[in-house]
Amino acid sequence: MPEQTHTRYGSNIGQPLTRREGLLKVTGSARFAADNHPEGMLYAALATSTIARGRVTFLDVAAAKAHPGVVDVIVPGNTPQLAFDPDDKDSPFTFRMDVLQNDRVRYANQAIAVVIGETLEAATEGAALLAPRYDVEPARMGLDGNETFVPPAVGVGEPPDIDNGGDVDAGLAGSAKRVDATYETPAQYHNAMEPHAIVAQWDGDKLTVDTPSQALTMGQGRIAQLFGIDPANILIRSPFLGGGFGSKALMKGPQILGIMAARRTGRPVKLVLRRDQMFGPVGHRAPTRQTVRMGTDDSGQIQAIHHHNHTATSSFDDFFEPAANLSHTLYAAPALKTTHTAVRLDTGTPLFMRAPGEASGSIALESAVDEMAEACGMDPLAFRLKNYAEVEPISGKPFSSKNLRECYEQGAAAFGWSKRAAAPRTMRDEAGLLVGWGMGTATFPALIFAADARATLKADGTGLVEIGAQDMGQGAWTALAQIAADGLGLDIDQVEFRMGSSDLPNGGIAGGSGHTATAGNAIHAAGGDVIAKLARLATDDQRSPLFGAGNAGVVARDGRLVRRDDESRGESYADILARAGLPALEGQGSAGADQDAQKRYAMHAHGAVFAEVKVDPELGQIRCTRLVGAFAAGRVINPRLVRSQYFGGMIWGVSFALHEEAVMDHRSGRPLNANLGEYHVPVNADIPSLEAILVDEKDSIINALGVKGVGEIGITGTAGAIANAVYHATGVRVRQAPIRLERLLGDLPLAAE
Amino acid sequence: MYAFNYHRPASLAEASAVLVANADAKFMAGGQTLLPAMKLRLANPSDLVDLVALRAELSGIRREGDRVVIGAMTRHGEIATSDVLLAAIPALAGMAAIVGDPAVRSRGTMGGSLANNDPAADYPAAALALGATIVTDRREIAADHYFLGLFETALEEGEIITAIAWPIPKRAGYEKFRNPASRYAMVGVFVAERADGAVRVTVTGAGASGVFRATDFETALTADFSSAALAGVAASPEGLNTDIHADAEYRAHLVGVMARRAVAAATA
Repeated sequence: MPEQTHTRYGSNIGQPLTRREGLLKVTGSARFAADNHPEGMLYAALATSTIARGRVTFLDVAAAKAHPGVVDVIVPGNTPQLAFDPDDKDSPFTFRMDVLQNDRVRYANQAIAVVIGETLEAATEGAALLAPRYDVEPARMGLDGNETFVPPAVGVGEPPDIDNGGDVDAGLAGSAKRVDATYETPAQYHNAMEPHAIVAQWDGDKLTVDTPSQALTMGQGRIAQLFGIDPANILIRSPFLGGGFGSKALMKGPQILGIMAARRTGRPVKLVLRRDQMFGPVGHRAPTRQTVRMGTDDSGQIQAIHHHNHTATSSFDDFFEPAANLSHTLYAAPALKTTHTAVRLDTGTPLFMRAPGEASGSIALESAVDEMAEACGMDPLAFRLKNYAEVEPISGKPFSSKNLRECYEQGAAAFGWSKRAAAPRTMRDEAGLLVGWGMGTATFPALIFAADARATLKADGTGLVEIGAQDMGQGAWTALAQIAADGLGLDIDQVEFRMGSSDLPNGGIAGGSGHTATAGNAIHAAGGDVIAKLARLATDDQRSPLFGAGNAGVVARDGRLVRRDDESRGESYADILARAGLPALEGQGSAGADQDAQKRYAMHAHGAVFAEVKVDPELGQIRCTRLVGAFAAGRVINPRLVRSQYFGGMIWGVSFALHEEAVMDHRSGRPLNANLGEYHVPVNADIPSLEAILVDEKDSIINALGVKGVGEIGITGTAGAIANAVYHATGVRVRQAPIRLERLLGDLPLAAE
Repeated sequence: MYAFNYHRPASLAEASAVLVANADAKFMAGGQTLLPAMKLRLANPSDLVDLVALRAELSGIRREGDRVVIGAMTRHGEIATSDVLLAAIPALAGMAAIVGDPAVRSRGTMGGSLANNDPAADYPAAALALGATIVTDRREIAADHYFLGLFETALEEGEIITAIAWPIPKRAGYEKFRNPASRYAMVGVFVAERADGAVRVTVTGAGASGVFRATDFETALTADFSSAALAGVAASPEGLNTDIHADAEYRAHLVGVMARRAVAAATA
């Protein structure tokens, strides 16, 4: 993109503004979906299966209906007629859902009935009174013992097996040093703080829903398809999300059941999932067993990498965690191959969760690289620099930008990496705790999706920018408003910014760390469009001081257009509009992938994460005491929010390495820890010290704004860095996440010496 | 939530009568275990007999000669900060200070915890180690005869704990390895050298049948009350719990570490 398009910017982008909705949130005034209570609203409660596979043979509907306050019970056979079979697929983003179309149970915590009551208590008790009976079939659980197959595609439409043309087996055979190691990661559940919730109300064939959504337009389309109504008749309001992590990108069965309940009763209905009900129908990250085979020559130069991922999907749909594909981008290897296999289990369908593929792939690859560096007798950072990829290893394409070297340098300096003792189990603190330092490389693809935006200049010279974008907590309300203001050459307080509602232009999806690129570039283009129209009005008008300057000859700044070659000559927006007799002027903009650039360039954000852990040698208890991450992700719109996103990602990395694990009961097929008391995520006490360094990176190829994603990259690199730090502290390599203390102690008590 | 009957008796006699008259009735002291269990429908009492009106009568901490008597309705937070107890049995006050979380400590009671006898509760370890006496509305029960297994005690139908009498030891210490989220003991070890010189080491959170004595550790400490004396003593994983938080082998390992640390605390 030509550099001159950036001259239009004022001073909003780059400012560390605090969240504009922060006051609402800390005072409890921000209205989340479940905060809505329309007049006459009923409450719906799900009854969910306690088995993972079989049929429901009996529900005591009479008992539920007899309970005071219960209004209605929805079971298979009395649901409103759907216009589209929820077990059909018509696109890669259409996933099968369970909405009471039959008596089959395909996973634990699947909805088997909906009880609707005048109060939540009545509905909940009604659901308990259903006392279901089942024909139980044995649950298929675990990565072993079930038929293994090669998935037709992994992630979203990627081939399961990819190589760069090199001969991996020959490369390994000819290597002087080799690592062949297998790493396991568990099933994980998103567990956003805000559960999936919906308040649905019908007015004839018009539907209004309040529900958290990472993709308003897609959600609108899915509801329209299922209920056979015009998408224009559906209004989804989602001003705030209490976290999404991918699980709110697609409409899920429980949300559809809430809409059904409103349709059947003719009254507004609220349905909020209980925490345990989120362990089933709303997606999760599948377990993986990954084998990394790697070999180097005598100098530590990688000769070959084979990354294989064995994972799982549900019995009834396809989503395969593309974990091995992380190896496509990071380390130069003349021979590189990634492969995938899978089994089908009686769980809900795994879906996108916090760097799907990248996160689980990263802990395996970064651990293997650490093992390889040690085998070569090299410092882990030196080893990574030696094998630095100047072009994308899988494709040979140049990077649109890549300042990973600077990330390594700045991160290492801030952390003090040069003082690291080479040998494991040689560092201790004053309290006698074992100290370990580890590192990992972070990477995440720079994605952009299709979106549209509308920008309006009003007669008073202020602006209005509208887009159906979504704030998941990442700060879109603020960062996108900064882009909107600069696109119009106005101060942020002079621009009304609207988002979070499906009656606005399609804001694309808030996923894949692509929302700022997606919505931001659409907003940027809309601003450019209206400013160009305004400039035409002025430069074509003999009465304007800008007459004859030409569109490219003016700059928009502080509510005025000025001549590029003489900034003393200009005119305010209000004056231009007044003379033209226009109450307002509207512009449109859109964003989407530049197919040509994507063919020619590899586009990724990068980073380096350094971790310190301390391990109690008597207990094996691990604490991550210090994390430093340095990331290069193109242009930074708001450094405060970007730093916060990196922090969030790094904390999820801690979670991946040390905390999160859904423990599945292989007999019943149920998660044993479907609650936040036993499904552990980090709390403040687990995160003593975080530092995120924003490394400068200019990318004029990637998109007009030059931004990459920052949401998910922090989880990559971090989990591996912690695993490597635990090894460095203890000399014990645990190849199973989370690294639990008893796995660490194993048959080698650390206190024995 | 289902419907149940709520009672707030004004006397011990009335409380006991209400409980006996209703087959599925439960006493509630602080409610910090029972109410969450009811919310999850792990308990479905037909009648809740709230003892809160007896709090004035049944709470308080006083020294009586060589023992400290604590009213059954005394809350953990009050026990943790009692000057009387901090002077006489600091290990017991310290235990109360790490029961649950601040919310639990401001409502939960010593009597409620001992009546419930959760296998991961703290007080059972102290009671068995110090030789506490459980005083009820009808008798006194020695700790050695009180704990009968998981959630099982010597209490009879309708019997109410009114106070717990704690003999003051020469020295004592408690260390627990807390579940990172619930703060329940994954393993808690209480060591005590009683006034008569007898040594007790008790373990909570680990045993498949609730609190138990670690007699090998007692023998070693009887000879030499120091953490060094425990260097070669290991607990057996036999009879210990395995769950999603830790397996029996790790719990056995923890018993050793917590015991050594508890002795160090007692001798500090």
